[in-house]
Amino acid sequence: MLANPIRRSAHCVLESSSNLPPAFLLPFRARLSTVSQPVDSSSVPASVTTQTSAPTVDSIRDSSGPSTKRDVSELETSRRIPLSPKNFSSAVPRNPKPPESHTKRDSSLNTANTGVHVTPKIPSPTSSTPSIPTTPLSGSVRELLPLLKAQTPHYITAHIYARPYLLTAGDIITLPFLMHGVAPGDILRLNRASVLGSRDYTLRAGAVEGISLVGTPTGKMKIGYLDERLFECRAVVMGTESEPMRIKEKTKRRQRRVKTVRSKHRYTVLRVQEILVKSVKEIEKEENLEGVILVEERKE
Amino acid sequence: MAYFRVTLLRSAIGLPKKTHGALAALGLRRRMNTVYHPVSQDVAGMIMKVKELVDVQEVEQPLTKTEMREMRRPDPGFYVEKRAGLGR
Repeated sequence: MLANPIRRSAHCVLESSSNLPPAFLLPFRARLSTVSQPVDSSSVPASVTTQTSAPTVDSIRDSSGPSTKRDVSELETSRRIPLSPKNFSSAVPRNPKPPESHTKRDSSLNTANTGVHVTPKIPSPTSSTPSIPTTPLSGSVRELLPLLKAQTPHYITAHIYARPYLLTAGDIITLPFLMHGVAPGDILRLNRASVLGSRDYTLRAGAVEGISLVGTPTGKMKIGYLDERLFECRAVVMGTESEPMRIKEKTKRRQRRVKTVRSKHRYTVLRVQEILVKSVKEIEKEENLEGVILVEERKE
Repeated sequence: MAYFRVTLLRSAIGLPKKTHGALAALGLRRRMNTVYHPVSQDVAGMIMKVKELVDVQEVEQPLTKTEMREMRRPDPGFYVEKRAGLGR
């Protein structure tokens, strides 16, 4: 049996009066903290149905769960979290220095009852609004990010619906699905990336502790994402393509009737406009301006 | 209240009818199906009948089907920064 540690997202403490989203919708980030933070209940997306099931762990931190569909919620803006080391510390440029790993493990996990497992919470929130970042840059990142930034062109492994796409500026991607709610000309900001690199430097997201829950697709490793503050990646929706018409004939032996099924799927085409690596100054300036701290780690 | 989280890992094809019956009683229709049952002697007995096919965890809160589905939903990875057209 798996020992599922209790995961607390280090976001905000839920006020007893406000609606707590169901435990499964709390993000999977599991950054534990003993510091209480006020919660803004407006950060909980409206689409989250509040259910009567009480949180399983004392002082479960509230944070906005994944909003459904195109619910642009003010997720990220209102969350406040204590400083916690994030994948920054382990987001290290590879070459020429050997990578350091400072990934903090969830050492402050504690189970309420030793014998009882708590169902792991839902993974990452959606990136429907720009998220406002958090912890200070680690030393190695601060040191090598300028070098990475200076060495154009850059490439990025962006994740759209958790699928990786290796991109650089000017690339045209045909997604394997039709993206709803966008029209040609819309600018998309891709904010989930696992790798950002140039010719000699690579910035990777730190290793992510995954919970292998039996019955959930854990075949793929949990993806660790980079902090959104480090880069900007924009793509424009160019339009849709469609495949040639496919005709499937369905019939049985010794049966004259033949049913015909026609398929002509459409696929959205994006063009990557730019990949910008931010400088340390810009990142810290933003952080000072915002004044809110947000846990960064995304898990999928 | 504690619940059993039961996941069918191995199929019952080719196994005796009683085994099929136990799985039907638990509500496990296909592989990787997950069901929640309150902890009780009855349920424990059913699980014992199919213990080789199944993975069991003890859990505080049961999840509904929609909740489990939401857990699998991935992060979009993008947001629309600017819409084309006038005043959109």
